[in-house]
Amino acid sequence: MLTIERTLEAAETPAPQAVRKKKRNTRPAWEEPPTIAGETAKGITLGVVLLVMLVPLWIIVVTSLSTQGAVNRAGGLVIWPDGLTLEAYRVMLGDTTVRTALLVSLGITAVGTLVSMAVSVMCAYGLSRSRSFAHRFLLTLLILTMFVNGGLIPTFLVVTGLGGYGQWWSLILPSAISVFNILILRSFYSSTSADLIEAARIDGAGDWRILWSIVLPTSRAVTAVMALFYGVGYWNSFFNVMLYMPTDSEKWPLQYVLYTYVNRGNGMPGSVNAGFGTALSQTAPLSLQMAVVVLTLVPLLIVYPFVQKHFRTGVLTGAIKG
Amino acid sequence: MGNELNRRSFLNVAVSAAGLVAMGPLLSACGSGPAQRAGVGSEAALKAVLPAYVPNTAIKPDIASIAGGPDVMTNPGFLSYPANRVATVSGIPGKGGTYSAVTPLWGTIPPADNAFYTAMNKALGVQLQMKPADGNNYNTIIPTMTASKRLPDWIQLPTWWNSQMNVGGLVGNQLADLTPYLSGDNIKKYSNLAAIPTAAWRAGAWGEKLYGIPSFATGFQIAGTLYYRRDILEAKGITADQVKSADDLMNLGKELTDAKNGVWAFDDVYRYLYTSFGAPLKWRVDNGKLVHLYETEEFYAALDWNNRLATAGYVHPDALAGDNANGNTRFFGGKTLISSGGTGTWNLADHQSGQAANPNYRRGALNIIAADGKSALRVDMGPGANIMSYLNINLKPEQIEECLAIANYLAAPYGSAEFTMVNFGVEGTHFTVVDGVPTATEAGKKEVQAQTFPFLAAPAAATNSPGVPAVTKDYLAWQAANVKALAKPVFWSMNISMPQAQATADAGQQVEDAMKDCIHGKKSVAEVREAVASWKTSGGGDKLIQWTNDNVLQKHGTGQ
Amino acid sequence: MTTATPTRPDRGTRPARQNWRVRLRRDRSLILMTLPAVVLLLVFNYVPLFGLVTAFQEYDPLAGIWYSTWAGLDQFQRLFGDALFWNAVRNTLYLSFVQLILFFPVPIALALLLNSVLSQRVRNFIQSVVYLPHFFSWVLAITIFQQMLGGAGALNHFLRNNDIGTWDVMTNPDTFALLVSAQVIWKEAGWGIIVFLAALAAINTDLYEAAAADGAGRWRRLWHITLPGLRGVIVLMLVLRLGNALTVGFEQFLIQRDAVGYDTADVLDTFSFYYGIATGDYSYGAAAGLFKSVISLLLIWGANKLAHAFGEDGLYRR
Repeated sequence: MLTIERTLEAAETPAPQAVRKKKRNTRPAWEEPPTIAGETAKGITLGVVLLVMLVPLWIIVVTSLSTQGAVNRAGGLVIWPDGLTLEAYRVMLGDTTVRTALLVSLGITAVGTLVSMAVSVMCAYGLSRSRSFAHRFLLTLLILTMFVNGGLIPTFLVVTGLGGYGQWWSLILPSAISVFNILILRSFYSSTSADLIEAARIDGAGDWRILWSIVLPTSRAVTAVMALFYGVGYWNSFFNVMLYMPTDSEKWPLQYVLYTYVNRGNGMPGSVNAGFGTALSQTAPLSLQMAVVVLTLVPLLIVYPFVQKHFRTGVLTGAIKG
Repeated sequence: MGNELNRRSFLNVAVSAAGLVAMGPLLSACGSGPAQRAGVGSEAALKAVLPAYVPNTAIKPDIASIAGGPDVMTNPGFLSYPANRVATVSGIPGKGGTYSAVTPLWGTIPPADNAFYTAMNKALGVQLQMKPADGNNYNTIIPTMTASKRLPDWIQLPTWWNSQMNVGGLVGNQLADLTPYLSGDNIKKYSNLAAIPTAAWRAGAWGEKLYGIPSFATGFQIAGTLYYRRDILEAKGITADQVKSADDLMNLGKELTDAKNGVWAFDDVYRYLYTSFGAPLKWRVDNGKLVHLYETEEFYAALDWNNRLATAGYVHPDALAGDNANGNTRFFGGKTLISSGGTGTWNLADHQSGQAANPNYRRGALNIIAADGKSALRVDMGPGANIMSYLNINLKPEQIEECLAIANYLAAPYGSAEFTMVNFGVEGTHFTVVDGVPTATEAGKKEVQAQTFPFLAAPAAATNSPGVPAVTKDYLAWQAANVKALAKPVFWSMNISMPQAQATADAGQQVEDAMKDCIHGKKSVAEVREAVASWKTSGGGDKLIQWTNDNVLQKHGTGQ
Repeated sequence: MTTATPTRPDRGTRPARQNWRVRLRRDRSLILMTLPAVVLLLVFNYVPLFGLVTAFQEYDPLAGIWYSTWAGLDQFQRLFGDALFWNAVRNTLYLSFVQLILFFPVPIALALLLNSVLSQRVRNFIQSVVYLPHFFSWVLAITIFQQMLGGAGALNHFLRNNDIGTWDVMTNPDTFALLVSAQVIWKEAGWGIIVFLAALAAINTDLYEAAAADGAGRWRRLWHITLPGLRGVIVLMLVLRLGNALTVGFEQFLIQRDAVGYDTADVLDTFSFYYGIATGDYSYGAAAGLFKSVISLLLIWGANKLAHAFGEDGLYRR
């Protein structure tokens, strides 16, 4: 039992990390001082990368804040501000349906991520112990689904056949597993803490205990990343809504509701001049579209730092040894 | 078949805008049995069941319709909103039934339970559960419903998706036959429905039976036309009537393109211009022989001209890069001066969008031309209506009658009390009258403007642009100038259901692809000819022509 | 213990050939753990496989799978005789290859570069910016490219006004492979680094310290500690990428197909879309899809064998 207890202790107090955080810009003592040429090259590369990423972001934000006149004068996305307004955001955020949809999205994302992570973590660990019973067969079973699928309709028929039409679970279960994610998790787990696991096993710990007390705490980075992958997937999910609850607007998640804003400008082709379009808002569709993009990014910007935090946990295993 | 163009251009928009796979029809995996499609019926039998046409005279438009050829007329126009809102329906039409209704909505879906729905239900005397679905994915959503047999009581199926949604297979299987209720004089029970022109009912007829209830019927249905920036061109001394031939257009390209200042004369115009070269919309009968568009020399002449237009550098590069979604924005911004689009583009909202960029903005449409400047002017007309709603086959006769009574209310003419209710809501709550123009309140914008009910039934189109009468005047003046050119194409308004192999050939994807590259200046006309040659043999083109000749032309004629 | 070299298999220490009953009893909790995932896959992935039969039919949506006529291998015969299909296969493989060379290493390099930045704050900032384009739709990404590099875009506006001629990279078929790679790098590289960052985080820093104490410089540490630490993930990603060689993206090509022409831009997925789904020729599309599945399975099997041949784990241990 001794080994496991020490592991837990270490997980709770990642001491070296805390030290590093305080002395933010200092390098570890063993690392040689940076060369000027190296730093310059690095700086230039990262500068270019940043520029290439930030310019489009700028364009998107400016366009989302532009008046219809500004968008139309630009003939597309706006680069230089030329008449700014918060109209697009006002239109969207002032809508009560958006608020309900936000709750729905949060719920689906939370529950879905939980389900997906539980299933995936268990499955990945279950397959990560090499030479275990039937693991190659099960892996093959998983991998096959990455390349062969029956198509949209049969899946739809299975889900509706199980009574999933209009049900919340139809937004979660059919796409709860990403085999790709399981493979990544498994790859991390199978190279993780073999010594610790062996020690724990000698101490009589079962697989459930090992997963919970050793594997999970020592691979927090990849766990966080997978939760991010799944969470983002649920947050942005779209297609299942369209298939399984296309007309239950009170159940729609945020992305789907926002999407209807994006398309209000498209209208119908060849429609007669019978007042179509009188329903169009004064705000240019393009600025609405970009506001939707910005709104999509906001939650990611909020969540990402929490994921990022775990990228520094590599030192943790080092602490256990001592 | 006339709406082929609309469907295509719509698909393009939908695909590029949403990027979602239009997998619609794939979904109907569990069919009900060996394929049975309703298709074209005998012309005489259909004529016998078409509803009587009784025009509504209660409200006089400011600009009266002008008749063209058979089934052709310009829209009536209203320059102001009628002050005296005549009631056309006496009493409450419904008897307390409960119905679910699904319509597409290109816009924000209103809250599920709102004051407008409540008020409407009260006025209609039924519980109509409106379930609007996202319009851009509608062609994926509907086949899921039909696959699992979950159609609501009342549903909207736009005609340009007829083949994708298998309407030909749904009528009689999942959708109710309305012939007993509406044929001939039976329709007179529903005076507002009776005021919808016959051509529109024909578009909803399958195999000698009536199924669809048309919305926004119009006698001036064309796929689209060439638009120009009237304000900018007139400032340069160019007017629409100076453009009489393809050469005139080409010269305008040279004159107007100013790439250094980011201005190109043209956006993509091929789709709405090729028939001006004398090419048929899709089919033509030469001396009794059925000829497909791809077999005509005029088709290649049109391609050649558009190819030259592109290679000469007169077409906006974004259009050549396949970006259609921002075509309107380019037009508003004056980056392109001549563009093309459906006639629905020209309305109040367009005017307001354009003016936001430039206060002088004025949209105009070029007149229909003959490419050689000499031939007779001609533009092919589409079916009498593109928006078609259907009732579920499981409804009992008295329920169908109740729904038709509701449809009659929804089809009340422009300016009537019912129309005002359906389109503007409750006065004081959803709109107020400002200078004679019903103006939406915040609640009105959210709940009413989304336009859900008119997709179940609506009166024949009346052009209007409340508050800006100039738009209506411009538009109807153009219609009046061109109404004589409208003519029925071969197989006009015939709902043809083809076997899968023919439908595939009919789509002619390999030719369409080569064609697009040609009008974008990337492939020569000769290469399109090669694509057509292979389409005729291995692509099933010859078989399509044979099939159409045997099953449509020989049996039912041209429908003209 | 996380180490740079593959760890000892913790069940390999036992006698190799055991009675399967014994192994099943020993591993029953492991099997139990995989059960939820397996059930979900069986229900939502394996049951719907009945849809594959449409590839052997003259599928008619109205009649349904049950009543559609059988076509045997007709669809495949048509497919293999279709020049457009082979054109799409060629394009797919070519684009896949170019992207493998140009795109695959970028997230790894970027992750290493970021990892070498000492300032936590700078690193966090860059990380949270570079991954954002992943969330843009392809429509938006390409609109931005068009507005920058298109014939009417910022670059050409500048060139035109200075009489340097124009350079429309957006509609040039010859440079299309480079263009789409650049787009993928811009959009996905930042997202792609996340897994590698997680892998970097799993490397024991003690190893670096020990190596530095032994006099190993920056580059030697990279070569002997960092890269081996990433190897498992890199090989896994590479194997999956090779298995997915027939998948290069869909929307990106769908949108730009008109710009460069279908000769250049049609890949297998757009081919299936245009010549299968969009034209109602479903069985044809299904046949193309099945072909793709079979080839992909062969590829992933081959890639896995190749990994084993190099002594790597690949998808699973040999």
